[in-house]
Amino acid sequence: MKAAVYAVNHKGIWSVRISVDLQIDIAWWSGKYKRVKVDDVAMTGKMVILSTSMPLGWAVKLRDSFVHPIEMQHWGADFWDRYVKEVLKEERGAEGEVRHGKAIVAPIGIKDNLNEREGDSIRVYNEAYSERGLAEAGTGAYELSGWAREEQLEYEADMLSELVNGRSLLETELMALLSEHYPTLTEHWRSAAQLAHLKGRLKLEAAVMAGPPHPRAAAARRGDRQLSFAAGGLVWASAVARRLGWRGAARRRALPRCQRCGSAVTARTACAACGLSACAYCEACLALGRGRACALLLRSAALPSALLRSRAVPDPTAAARRWGLSAAQAEAAGAALGFMAEPRKRSADPCPERFLLWAVTGAGKTEMIFPLLEAVLAAGGRALVATPRRDVVLELAPRLTKAFPAETLAVLYGGSPDRWIGGRLALATTHQLVRFYQSFDLVIIDELDAYPYHNDPMLAHAAEQACKRDGTFIYLSATPPKELQQQVRKSQLAHARVPVRFHGHPLPVPKHLTIPPLFVCLKRRVLPKRLLQAISRSLARNAQIFMFVSRIAHIEPLLPILRRNLPGVVVAGTSSQDPARADKVKAFRNREISLLVTTTILERGVTIPRSDVIILDADNSLFDEASLVQMAGRAGRSKDDPAGIVVFASPHWSRPQRSAISQIRTMNRMAKRKGHLRKEPLL
Amino acid sequence: MTSKPEWLNSFLSLLSSSSSECLACGKQGRASSLSPVLCVNCAAIIPWIRTPRCPKCGRHVGCPDCSRGGEPSHILYNRSAVAYNSVMRDWLGRYKYRGNERYAPLLGLMLEKAYQMLKVQHEDAVYQNAFIRPRSAFPFRRSTSTVSWKADLLVPVPVSEPRLVERGFNQAERLAAELSWRTGIPVLPLLVRTHHTDKQSFKGRAERLTNMKHAFGPNTSIIENYSNWLMEITDALSLPAVSIDSAVHDTKHTRPVRIIIVDDIYTTGSTIRACADSVRQMTEACSFSSDIYSLTWARS
Repeated sequence: MKAAVYAVNHKGIWSVRISVDLQIDIAWWSGKYKRVKVDDVAMTGKMVILSTSMPLGWAVKLRDSFVHPIEMQHWGADFWDRYVKEVLKEERGAEGEVRHGKAIVAPIGIKDNLNEREGDSIRVYNEAYSERGLAEAGTGAYELSGWAREEQLEYEADMLSELVNGRSLLETELMALLSEHYPTLTEHWRSAAQLAHLKGRLKLEAAVMAGPPHPRAAAARRGDRQLSFAAGGLVWASAVARRLGWRGAARRRALPRCQRCGSAVTARTACAACGLSACAYCEACLALGRGRACALLLRSAALPSALLRSRAVPDPTAAARRWGLSAAQAEAAGAALGFMAEPRKRSADPCPERFLLWAVTGAGKTEMIFPLLEAVLAAGGRALVATPRRDVVLELAPRLTKAFPAETLAVLYGGSPDRWIGGRLALATTHQLVRFYQSFDLVIIDELDAYPYHNDPMLAHAAEQACKRDGTFIYLSATPPKELQQQVRKSQLAHARVPVRFHGHPLPVPKHLTIPPLFVCLKRRVLPKRLLQAISRSLARNAQIFMFVSRIAHIEPLLPILRRNLPGVVVAGTSSQDPARADKVKAFRNREISLLVTTTILERGVTIPRSDVIILDADNSLFDEASLVQMAGRAGRSKDDPAGIVVFASPHWSRPQRSAISQIRTMNRMAKRKGHLRKEPLL
Repeated sequence: MTSKPEWLNSFLSLLSSSSSECLACGKQGRASSLSPVLCVNCAAIIPWIRTPRCPKCGRHVGCPDCSRGGEPSHILYNRSAVAYNSVMRDWLGRYKYRGNERYAPLLGLMLEKAYQMLKVQHEDAVYQNAFIRPRSAFPFRRSTSTVSWKADLLVPVPVSEPRLVERGFNQAERLAAELSWRTGIPVLPLLVRTHHTDKQSFKGRAERLTNMKHAFGPNTSIIENYSNWLMEITDALSLPAVSIDSAVHDTKHTRPVRIIIVDDIYTTGSTIRACADSVRQMTEACSFSSDIYSLTWARS
């Protein structure tokens, strides 16, 4: 879209502002909306309209790169013109380059109206409008003449800022939100948005802008001196590189960035909305709407944070009793509550502090977050539970609703019906977080090592953006990624471990079974005797079996061999490419299937009361330590059958197998030391 | 079995052949021969229309609409590159609605295949009419000078102004630009959308037909260019074979201007027919006759 840009001298200080409805700004600075503070109005000096319609990206750049030379007071139109040209030199150059020296479509129109406010502001106003042309005239639907209109507009501006509260929305998303909650505003939202912006309640940004969004926050988070030293070096190096001409990394750093997902933006295209021939757009978050250099990103001003700090820590034992937590769960929840209430370290650029809740598979993580959510909600704050997986969202939703019946819970995922419900408690897939901006006091990320959150900087960025600067991040995982484990070891990351399951029995320790590689077995169409013995042992104790294979292609040929060897046993196979996957998982849950052959897609989230686990080709490079621990965690989850059997079947030992077993043993040892175990292992 | 160290992997990646990420499925895979942005698997599932069942609208299955007769149409015939199945719907959706413009070159490339089909069919038709059978004499060579067929102009179907601003681009215009770049046929945006119709995709056949009647009008800012352009190509339009008979340079013995209307998808053809009507009127206003064809990327 295009926006207007103007400079205004307010109380002797110049600032450049952008506008999506210039009419409102002119009325604002001539004091129409501030009947109370007459002094302020008198202090407003000049208003220079730099352009009534220029590509939004350029307008935002003009605003953000504004410097304030004192002599602006005396600038005439030509000086302002030169100033604008100087700031936008690069962009205009790029535009010329692309067009091969042909005519530039969007010349900068300096409307040289120096608004002497004591004089006739009306003259400017009319002139501005005659210049604006027909295309833009329809947007400001309000004639600012009558009192009633003004009242109405003020009301609508308040409504709009209320609706956008804590969000970060593109224009299309705003339209969807408005058509659900305030359909009449879809026509003239620009006026309301502009008034809310002038009141300081809305921020107008471009969805793609030059410069990294929060360079310091990311660096500060890593929190080691080496890095800041290195960063100093980089700054110096980039300064040198700039002088030498931009190359490589320095050039890449100068690329515009998507303000929603943080990715560097390289794609450019001719754009009909702003008229530029090279308008940048973000490809990384296309699935969530297209962020362009000229797309308006509407963000609410930072919300006041709930004063959780320096409050009395809610009593963990009371919380534990209320939510029925075990001793180990209560201890970890107490540690997290203490962390949330701790006073913050003071830093120049605050970023959310992080806490890791490392709980073994089947420890009852969900119950542990209830006291944390309760504390935040009680303090009047906003809380969010996010997870990379949609099925986890759907599973958690009824449990959260039951736990917090008084709150409206917004359940957000791609295509969810309550996308635009505003509530203090939200449950979302991590992708949905790009639609929030400094909104939550507490962000809990469940299964943070799961696909696709793990190794996706875009989602991490989105999560950071969704949290208030002085808020708290809590990561939940049974198998934290390496970097986090390292930070835990170096005690750089606050954390609590829950080494035992809710039922107080130790985790089943996997046993190794040496068998030939699966593809050999499939070729010979014979399964090793030892494997069949292991299977029949599990079937004999009436347990269901998860059989994990490394490749989808192995499932189909394996099924007939299993069926031949296990007459009378219901055997099924499923994978991510199976359309009937949900039905098969359901049948497995209902004990209609005794043996399910699958891939890592079922490594988490599925709980079967009495189940054993067999992992074939456990030495395959697709199975890392985390996924082995997760798969092993499918066994022995219920109180009635706490000691399941886990078998790693492979020709060789591998490092991930050994470290998975050692991780499980460490947890069991820790549980024993802390006295969380109910009784001796059944082995 | 331990995995290779990271440095070794990155070193080996320098030596191995490049496998790029496929635009459609997002996986790393061998690039297809059709386009480097598409992997072999995704290229294999494109439902090309190689031999249209309906000679008029280029449909791959039997076409009740064309045999119904119904409306008189100014379109000679339509050709489409692919059948509009769920995969193609997904691709078009990602391009048109989500705005992933990396699809534009690919779709343009696919459209060019449809253009080639139109061209070859036309040339074959010329052979048959003229009783020339060069194929039997020289099966591998065809004398291009006499019967080579080429269109004169591409006209994209316009979209309305609000939609254009919302989307940022007009997919038909981009497709036409791609095709023009590949074939060297000029593009002129002769049409504008006179009123904003609701999205066609939510409507039934009858509703679409009535809705479209007067949706398009001439683009007034380009009419002058158009008549100038027509004057310029007058020489190219004159028919050499006929002029021997008459022995005079008679302007009446020019062949009609071949105009191709370009759009992304042909469903009932109402859009294309409405456009063809306007284009024909515009051409007649400049006292030229026209042969109007249409090319769409998909045929539903």
